[in-house]
Amino acid sequence: MKVDIQHLKKIVGPENASDDVAELYIYGSDASVHQAMPDAVVRPGKTEEVQEVMRYANKNKIPVIARGSGSGMSGHAVPIDGGIVMDMKRMNKILDIRIEDVLCVVQPGVIDDDLNRVLRPKGVFYPPTPASSRVATIGGEIANNASGLRSVKYGATRDSVLGMKVVLANGDLVTLGSNTRVEASGYQLARLMVGSEGTLGIIVEATLRLTPVPKFKAMAMAKFNKLEDAGKTITAVMTSGITPSVLELMDNVAIKAVNTALNMGLPDVEAIIMFEADGRIKAAVEADMNDIEEICEANGAFGIEMSDDPKEMTRIFSGRKKLFAALSRYQKGLSCTSLADDMAVPNSKMAATVQEIVDVGKRNNVVMTAYGHCGSGVVHTKILMDTTKPGQWDNARKAVSEVYDFVRKVGGTTSGEHGIALSKAPSWKKEKKDSLEMMRAIKKALDPNNILNPHKMMDAPDDWVKATDLRYTTKVQ
Amino acid sequence: MKTKHLKDWENELDICIRCSYCFEDCPIFKELGWESSSARGKILFAYGFLHGELEPSEFIAKRVFDCTLCRLCKEKCSAKVDITEIIEACRADLAKEGFVLPGHKEMLENIVATGNIFGDKEARAPVQDGETPLFIGCQYLARPNRTKGWIKLLEKMGVKPKIVEETCCGFPMKALGDREKLEKQKKDFKKKFPFKEAITLCPTCAAFLKEDYDIDAKHVINVVLEKLGGLKPKSVGKKVTYHDPCDLGRSLGVYNQPREVLSKLGVELVEMKGNRNLSNCCGGGGGMLVSDVPVSDRIADKRVKEAVDTGADLLVTACPTCEQVLSKASARMSEKGQGSIKVQEMFDLLWNAVK
Ligand SMILES: Cc1cc2nc3c(=O)[nH]c(=O)nc-3n(C[C@H](O)[C@H](O)[C@H](O)COP(=O)(O)OP(=O)(O)OC[C@H]3O[C@@H](n4cnc5c(N)ncnc54)[C@H](O)[C@@H]3O)c2cc1C
Ligand code: SF4
Ligand code: SF4
Repeated sequence: MKVDIQHLKKIVGPENASDDVAELYIYGSDASVHQAMPDAVVRPGKTEEVQEVMRYANKNKIPVIARGSGSGMSGHAVPIDGGIVMDMKRMNKILDIRIEDVLCVVQPGVIDDDLNRVLRPKGVFYPPTPASSRVATIGGEIANNASGLRSVKYGATRDSVLGMKVVLANGDLVTLGSNTRVEASGYQLARLMVGSEGTLGIIVEATLRLTPVPKFKAMAMAKFNKLEDAGKTITAVMTSGITPSVLELMDNVAIKAVNTALNMGLPDVEAIIMFEADGRIKAAVEADMNDIEEICEANGAFGIEMSDDPKEMTRIFSGRKKLFAALSRYQKGLSCTSLADDMAVPNSKMAATVQEIVDVGKRNNVVMTAYGHCGSGVVHTKILMDTTKPGQWDNARKAVSEVYDFVRKVGGTTSGEHGIALSKAPSWKKEKKDSLEMMRAIKKALDPNNILNPHKMMDAPDDWVKATDLRYTTKVQ
Repeated sequence: MKTKHLKDWENELDICIRCSYCFEDCPIFKELGWESSSARGKILFAYGFLHGELEPSEFIAKRVFDCTLCRLCKEKCSAKVDITEIIEACRADLAKEGFVLPGHKEMLENIVATGNIFGDKEARAPVQDGETPLFIGCQYLARPNRTKGWIKLLEKMGVKPKIVEETCCGFPMKALGDREKLEKQKKDFKKKFPFKEAITLCPTCAAFLKEDYDIDAKHVINVVLEKLGGLKPKSVGKKVTYHDPCDLGRSLGVYNQPREVLSKLGVELVEMKGNRNLSNCCGGGGGMLVSDVPVSDRIADKRVKEAVDTGADLLVTACPTCEQVLSKASARMSEKGQGSIKVQEMFDLLWNAVK
């Protein structure tokens, strides 16, 4: 069915809808390897407009793909079947901050960092904070169940979302969850929306649980000559009774990349781990840091540097936050692709996993790196390759598959934080094989015409390379 | 579409991971909201042209030319993709296909006809013999009194400026995509200005002379910082906020020097929210002053609002375009009753302190 652009313009205003081919091209990709053009883009400014667009799309069986900033890494917002991309960034108001209830109410287009800039002076913050928090929208974070640097202590998005308003496929508006910290009343429908990747409804408002800003913070950086030792250290810290507020691993590929791209001056060793401890009482923070130092030393770390200087801490963490793009500068001729990017594994399997990732890269003639919020079990990698060579894509396909086979073997999961969408769907479907039908039933009940971000997750194609055109010009068989 | 200039950036375009970090604070994206207006949008257009996935159109040309070339996007990009160079190459390929915005063409023809962007035949550099080559640049040719003031100030500080009959450095031709005119202009410029080192009054000229002519060019503020002490300046005693011009800051890395000069003038410096490498643009660069006045104005108004929010008495900058754009914005805001602030170029403050 052809999209009636005039009708959409009537709903959202002529300046907020477009079917210009140039606009469609821009809204056809995100931070993944995928690309597909929509038929129209709308930028609603209020809930009623979202409802109207959904009613129109549902009646005419036109796909609708919600989009925040398009920073998803697996093709989440790529409109594989065309249809309407719904850019939510105009709905960007912070509606209420209720310090006495330690919560806030926001529209979905609010950018994570913008929210925290307003909250922090009030003594609270919204903790999930992915590395992309400077651009990621709250709607996109909820839909992806994003997590980040501090999730090891403060949890993922799912732990900070109390409730939300959602427009369903048929245009109905529903209120899910509650304004309270606990709720034991039936199906946890707000939680069902978290991580639903735009396939079950459009989030138009969210009630978020806030956390007091800790008074004291300290950080340390430990260096390792063996990646495996770093892996062992992570396991040891996480079983020691300490809950650090940050525990980040960077291997040598990652270190070299940020040093080259950003002149960060990180030590050129096999691996580093960055720790942060925080709390209300200085002595308690210091005690945690001392214990962490001892554990690091016992596991082969050297040259441990401590700091409680906020400027230095920000500088070092900012390097980590900028890593994904910086990896594109690791070696001339290689580009960074977000593939097999964010698995999670049980604590005890950390050392083996980081080693396996690097080995898989070597076996398949691509460069792979191991880094991540390893305290919460998330291990990131990326595949660095010559994207112009079809053979490299074959290698990447094999490498991705081998990494995920390993992750499943050790009892891990396909995605710890970035979500599934297209490029992770083939492996994820293997992991979740006995619950896929349950998911399809939920999807069918809420979206019988299959218009909300169709053919993603459980319904995505089985070969990610061919799921859409690659956003590169390379053609792969 | 032929992509003669974009071809040079093929590898750089593959480096981009499309993360969208360059959205953050892009002044045009903040105004227009569509992703096609953002830095990433422009990068995608460039990619689309280069690989034959897009054909040029009026719409795309407008989007690609809606850019102040402020370089904030590169500052935000973790892969340090040379976004503005890519945008300029994209403009060059678009211009070759005939996509030139109204106003831009006239500006470039003015340079060819008169040697300055204003088409002012009377505008002449105040030629004089001396030791250190001083490049005046179009913006100061149009401000002869201010130019005289700078020369006097330099002389007071013991510098002997050598000024020749000059012609535009050609930066507008690069920025607006006319590479053929640029090549001719460069030849003419080199003939008229055959020096290995120079002082410039305008930050953009300094950056361009350095980057494209390999001249050891210094913006005048560097010289002032070296020599000002000898003049024993009087204390100005005001609360001042300083606007970093994009080309002085992000292109040349000159952030501390103007602040040190201000401190020697005894001012109380208060910073705006966006400052130094993260300074927000005044809205006047990249040809926007001619091709998209409403958007340029809105960006300028926001910058003035930032300055007003500091509670400073004075907004000082070190670029003639920034000064003009911000002064107008302040007047506009004052008319609308939205708060205003006095805007001055660094020269005024300096002159009052040493005259
Ligand atoms: C450099 C970089 C670093 C990153 N680091 C992290 C990290 O540390 N942790 C992490 O978790 N992620 C990370 N990400 C991935 C990504 O940024 C996050 O998952 C983020 O939450 C996506 O937000 P977005 O606004 O860009 O959403 P988009 O990419 O636009 O959309 C993501 C999904 O959300 C859906 N969606 C968006 N808005 C709504 C809405 N209002 N209602 C319903 N569905 C909606 C879309 O349909 C899509 O399926 C990173 C990405 C990049 C490029
Ligand atoms: S920030 Fe850099 S890597 Fe990211 S989209 Fe922009 S240009 Fe590309
Ligand atoms: S140079 Fe400035 S205006 Fe142009 S795209 Fe970059 S940030 Fe936006």
